Amino acid sequence: MIAPARESPWLSRALVFLVAATALTALGLGGTAAGDLFAPLFGPRDPAIEASFGRNLLVGVMLAGAFVLNLEFLRLLLFRWQVLVVWGELLLLFYGFVQSFGRDFSVVFESGESGVSNLYFLITTGAFTTIYVSLIAIAIACLLALLGALGKLSRNGAAYAVATFYISFFRGTPLLLQVVLIYTGLAQLGFVLEAVPAGITALALCYGAYMAEIFRAGIEGVPHGQREAAKALGVPEGLIFRKIVFPQAMRLIVPPTGNQFIAMLKDSSLVSVVGVWELTKTAQVLGKRDFQVFEFLIAAAVIYWIMSVVFEVVQARLEAYYGKGQRR
Amino acid sequence: MHFYVKLGAAALLASAVAVPAAWAGETLDRVMSTKTLTMSSDPEYPPQSFLNDKNEMDGFDVDVGKEIAKRMGAELKIVTPGWDIITAGSWGGRWDMSVGSMTPTKKRAEVLDFPAVYYYTPAAFAVHKDSDMDSLDDLNGKVIGSCGGCTYDAYLMKDLEIDAEGAPPFEYEVEAGEIKTYETDTHAFDDLALGDGARLDAVFSALPTIQEAIKKGGYPMKVIGKPAFYEPLSVATDKGDPEFDAKIAEVVAAMKSDGTLKKLSEKWYGVDLTTVQ
Repeated sequence: MIAPARESPWLSRALVFLVAATALTALGLGGTAAGDLFAPLFGPRDPAIEASFGRNLLVGVMLAGAFVLNLEFLRLLLFRWQVLVVWGELLLLFYGFVQSFGRDFSVVFESGESGVSNLYFLITTGAFTTIYVSLIAIAIACLLALLGALGKLSRNGAAYAVATFYISFFRGTPLLLQVVLIYTGLAQLGFVLEAVPAGITALALCYGAYMAEIFRAGIEGVPHGQREAAKALGVPEGLIFRKIVFPQAMRLIVPPTGNQFIAMLKDSSLVSVVGVWELTKTAQVLGKRDFQVFEFLIAAAVIYWIMSVVFEVVQARLEAYYGKGQRR
Repeated sequence: MHFYVKLGAAALLASAVAVPAAWAGETLDRVMSTKTLTMSSDPEYPPQSFLNDKNEMDGFDVDVGKEIAKRMGAELKIVTPGWDIITAGSWGGRWDMSVGSMTPTKKRAEVLDFPAVYYYTPAAFAVHKDSDMDSLDDLNGKVIGSCGGCTYDAYLMKDLEIDAEGAPPFEYEVEAGEIKTYETDTHAFDDLALGDGARLDAVFSALPTIQEAIKKGGYPMKVIGKPAFYEPLSVATDKGDPEFDAKIAEVVAAMKSDGTLKKLSEKWYGVDLTTVQ
């Protein structure tokens, strides 16, 4: 007899349970906090002694059961609630992961004689610098990217050469070296830039080069028929790019540009080598005070994450705006 | 006509003589006219230099910098470029001096000037507190961590040439099995703290830095053996202003002779490190 085309849902569930139970048992979680649930059976756990197989197995089976039950529970929910519940669960797991380091994170909220908490200093000095450096740099980078893209699309040999040289160099060398080149290298030629302007220049030049390719792809992605139709309607040559091509190109440019900005928020930590107290540097300095760097780096990571989430929302709004023409 | 040619020649000659002179005193002129002395310092290096509870820069190096500024009649301003940026030279006038516990080595002297040694730090090895090692001989063939590109790294590589008068001589007493270098010393301490031999068998750093990490950071380490060498630590300046260098040398010499430096050393290190042991 041929096996039924649809396998029984119970079989797949049992399979998931079996795989999960095997994997979790193999991890040997009997010695962790989860193993304490079986203290009445096996006695309290002793960190010095390796947990027995029985204990590992019981914990594995229990966690696998919870996992399968969780999946069943999620099945009953609407999409939106599924997303929220799973986000919440993953956040809880992340929280547990961080807690398992056994570090005392209260130091992040403490305040010294200055009267302001370390977190406040981290945000007002570090995160603030990160944001304004990145915002100025991305604005300049957009301009450079537009020029780079137009140069690369140009039929003028010199413009094409300058654009491709610029894109090739700044995509082809590490950002860290560019920061040092602009800060120390340019100073030898008499262009003495302070730390913040030097950092912004390096970020803008580097990201402008990457984004030039995004802009070029965006402009090229607008169907040629749009230009032809505009011409046929008698739209002046100069207006065609500004009013017809560019707005449509923006729809293609915005999502990857938002992506670049979020990447830049974190790459801006590289400008700390010239002495800019952005978020990473500030976290390290605060951490070194009492040799608690790790606690502050975790705090900085969470702040970066929150900033990224905020800008993800901004990006979604922008996308909706420029995508008006495509929505049905 | 003749007169103008002579005048022109005289003016040319005068400017040729005058320009280098003004150039040589540029840093000193700037400090004196703006009443601001800018120094570079690494804010991640307690107790030499760090951000204190008031969120202000503090530490031995910072106190020395403040005192130098005070004696020159200027305000001290601190900037914090990375170590590699400072040791690369060509500061472009963005800061005037480095009071950053820098050892004058031959290589660094090619791009920087070292006008005044202000103290001497013993360099020491530390092991995990569970380790049985207790002498420098035990360290041969072991995995040793230090900061990269610094004097401790150079010592382990047997490539340390200190370029300062009065620097005590030393011998290479330890043959590391493997050298692991880090961006800064405390990262090496973190790796040693993971356990005896987990990633490192020992670390090599400044004795005061190790002691501070044990005392304030609670690192499970202990110092073993006698110090491997004493390194002179100097104020560094950018090349090309002998008058500024002379002024710094004069100020530091005065701080040494009237006991100010000794007092600062005792405040931060508990001992007098301003003379060779």
